[in-house]
Amino acid sequence: MELALAMGAGGVVAGVFGSLLGLGGGVLIVPLLTLGFGLPLHQAVGVSLVSVIMTSSASAGVYLERHVANLRLGMTLELFTSAGAIVGGAIAFLLDEHLLDGLFAVLIAYVALSMLRGVRADATVAVPVAGGGAPADPAALAGSAASDGPAALTGSAADGYQVRHLRMGLLGSAFAGIASALFGIGGGIIKVPLMNLVMGVPLRVATATSNLMVGITASASAFIYFAKGEIDPYLSGPTAIGVFVGATVGSRLGHRVDLRLLRIIFVLVLGYTAFAMLMKAVS
Amino acid sequence: MIDVEARIGRALIAMTFLGVGLLVAGVALMLIHGIGPLTASPTFDPGHLVSSLLALDPAAPLWLGLIVILVTPVARVIAAGIGYARHGQWAMVGIAAAIVIVIAIGVTSALITET
Repeated sequence: MELALAMGAGGVVAGVFGSLLGLGGGVLIVPLLTLGFGLPLHQAVGVSLVSVIMTSSASAGVYLERHVANLRLGMTLELFTSAGAIVGGAIAFLLDEHLLDGLFAVLIAYVALSMLRGVRADATVAVPVAGGGAPADPAALAGSAASDGPAALTGSAADGYQVRHLRMGLLGSAFAGIASALFGIGGGIIKVPLMNLVMGVPLRVATATSNLMVGITASASAFIYFAKGEIDPYLSGPTAIGVFVGATVGSRLGHRVDLRLLRIIFVLVLGYTAFAMLMKAVS
Repeated sequence: MIDVEARIGRALIAMTFLGVGLLVAGVALMLIHGIGPLTASPTFDPGHLVSSLLALDPAAPLWLGLIVILVTPVARVIAAGIGYARHGQWAMVGIAAAIVIVIAIGVTSALITET
């Protein structure tokens, strides 16, 4: 009983942090379960994928209702993220677990560096380094440009943006799918900068569209983990509920918290986690 | 399509909360039965899901909740595909169908390699 509550509490903390910092739960849940509870990486990834789908589905629903996400663009990219996720899901069970631990350490270090850039760049605005994972706060979406939602794939002047470099976007999406399946993340950390910086999609739309895509990306890999018996109901239940509750709370706390301080703390936590995962990889 | 998007959005939220509700019920039953997260879980058996649910076996609502959560994004793609078909946007219908096919291939290959 204590362990179930501890996992739920861990999930709440991961959900709150993830939501406040615009990260999905995966980056936090996987190290929590592997380093904190000694679970094998594959099982931790399975639990993480379930958490990611839950939180992203809820927030994607809000984004769709409010027409912030570009559904057509999202679905086009989803075809490639899901294909990437299938490939990644197959690779994940072929690679040595120590190698996966090492790769995960590199991923966390990358997230920490992205966060660090966010701390330097802006003291007040959350950096959407990941997108996906946190249920959207409807208040935060109020006043969003409704014209962005039903935008055609290629955009138009009336929509305020023009989607460009679609091939790069498709390639990057496939890569995001592979990363999602390998590490149990939503892949927003790749998709948001890809859409925003490479494809010219406004940040708000990119974040919302990534959130939408995260569900299908994680779902594609989660089905593989499910088929291989790596999604354990007793493990997934308490943790996923914790993440969902934490992410919901986090989305409502956003405007009350000193995000700069939070990001500094988080960079330190991620730095330590990357080190610990690396040590686990070489042990 | 704007109405369809809003409807899909509402359905996504409803399915997510259904999944969360089932997981909460399962975890509550886990706590009542004194089952810990590291206890070996029973394998997924769709044939016994209903009887397990009626017997208040904690694994049953947990499995059902997990399936609802896993299926929700795919259901969203299918719903969007149907919406696009009604508007005659066949390219998007093709994309929706291709996503579902890719996922089906992934699951099938995982099941084959597992057995």
